[in-house]
Amino acid sequence: MNIKMDKLSLHFGNHKALEDITFELNEKKIYGLLGRNGAGKTSLLSIIASFREPTSGLLTINGEVPFENSKIMQQVAFLYDKDYKDESDNIIKMLQGVQRYRPNFDMEYAEYLIQRFKLDTKKPINKLSKGMQSTVNVIIGLASRTPLTIFDEVYLGMDAPARDTFYKELLKDQESHPRIIILSTHLVSEMDYLFDEVILIKSGKFLLQEDYDSLTSKGVRITGDQELVEELVQTKVQLNEEQLGNTKSVMIYGELTNHERKMAMDQGLDLGPVSLHDLFIHLTEEENVDEKLS
Amino acid sequence: MKNFPKVTADMFWMQMLWTFGFLGVMFIINIIKIVIDLIQGTEVDGYYASVLIASNIYMVIIGLISIYFLPYYVGNGVTRKDYFKGGLLASFGLSLAIPIITFFISIVERFIVTNLLNLNFHVIDINEAVLDVDGNIIGDLVLSVILTPYVDPGSNWLLAMGVFSLHLFIFYLLGWFISASFYRFGTLTGLVFILIAFIIILLKDLFLRISLGLPLSDRFSSLASLPLGVTLPGIMLLIVFTVWGIRLLTKRVTIKM
Repeated sequence: MNIKMDKLSLHFGNHKALEDITFELNEKKIYGLLGRNGAGKTSLLSIIASFREPTSGLLTINGEVPFENSKIMQQVAFLYDKDYKDESDNIIKMLQGVQRYRPNFDMEYAEYLIQRFKLDTKKPINKLSKGMQSTVNVIIGLASRTPLTIFDEVYLGMDAPARDTFYKELLKDQESHPRIIILSTHLVSEMDYLFDEVILIKSGKFLLQEDYDSLTSKGVRITGDQELVEELVQTKVQLNEEQLGNTKSVMIYGELTNHERKMAMDQGLDLGPVSLHDLFIHLTEEENVDEKLS
Repeated sequence: MKNFPKVTADMFWMQMLWTFGFLGVMFIINIIKIVIDLIQGTEVDGYYASVLIASNIYMVIIGLISIYFLPYYVGNGVTRKDYFKGGLLASFGLSLAIPIITFFISIVERFIVTNLLNLNFHVIDINEAVLDVDGNIIGDLVLSVILTPYVDPGSNWLLAMGVFSLHLFIFYLLGWFISASFYRFGTLTGLVFILIAFIIILLKDLFLRISLGLPLSDRFSSLASLPLGVTLPGIMLLIVFTVWGIRLLTKRVTIKM
């Protein structure tokens, strides 16, 4: 499956929710879509799921526009923090409904997940707790096994053990039934190990798309003598700096050459890794970071 | 792969389930009324007439609810077009099923009431009621919804059921039309669509009364001579306009999350 966004924009009057978003997803991987609140994650995902049309730009899935395309729409599942206050069916009835419209739906697997999450099958869904309702979304998303599955902040209200079960089952099923999964989240530190690739958006604009490992290897924290640190980082994209006395610590984005690494070691500077969580915070916080990156 | 046959079946049976509830409640009310009439020895209002009057409002209500199937279906990867087609076919089926079920229940009821209980049926004069409220457009409107032009199934059962079905179908469509406009545009513009719906109801009633040769209120009496060649296509046009409106309203609508 190929998902291609070409200058995708979404405007509400004067407000630009998305602006010229261009990127592509090709492989059966887990993609982490990261961005702060209001960055446009849900807007972008709702366009991919044909919930709405973009104001301008082109989205294609396997070369076709997905909006009102039954062949494509059937293959895209979009799970989000849905309001279930009017849903009086129980989970089994609900899944039977979903099964009718999702060709790859696996009811046996869904039942296994219900047991795994200890979900009450008798209770109507609107009587379940918020966390349990989120679990319903997780089960629908996993068991539908659509070639493109989108989980948008789907864990809201789920407690830590339930979230952990979700992550484990997600990885397990992805291994046996690979597909494109997009996880949109701001629980970065908790979910980073799930991502094969990371897409960052900021204020409606595309910031970067990188392999998880190469992205995290680009973040380096250099700590040591103020002057030496400043000399080393002056040509780099600096995300954050802290100082205590004469000791300075700077977080940079961009790889160090072997020569630079060796020099830093020789000068007694400390080079430390930066977590995706920290990169996320500083890449999305920093002003003009998109200009610096380009 | 086309999904609309599945949508049709699902929406039809879902709404049919509600309909059995509705018809069941009407049936119980009718039995209670018969028991009271039996005690008092008065004439009985038939099941057919009661359902005929109540079902128009019932159809408006389930028409209003039918927009809520839209986010469900799109969320399950079904196109707006398949939802529209399925919903339309289901409502058509529903409009046929209700009169048929009602007709059969009323035949059994008529047999029991007249032969076993020795009671008479109240003679219905729904069509004359329109003459009682003259010079009041609101009165006309309310009557148009409650008391639609009526054909006695005893005189021509096929025509009677056809007219019954037609009413149900149009009322469902108008409910759907209004809720689709609210979903698409919000409350304020939605109110304008309610007004449009009322105009459609008035026109439909007018055309139907003229077609069936039923009495008209004074306001429209000059139109009584319109030929069938005008009034029947007129009714058809109203249906097409409403169906087309629903499709336009839902064709590219953003699904609320």
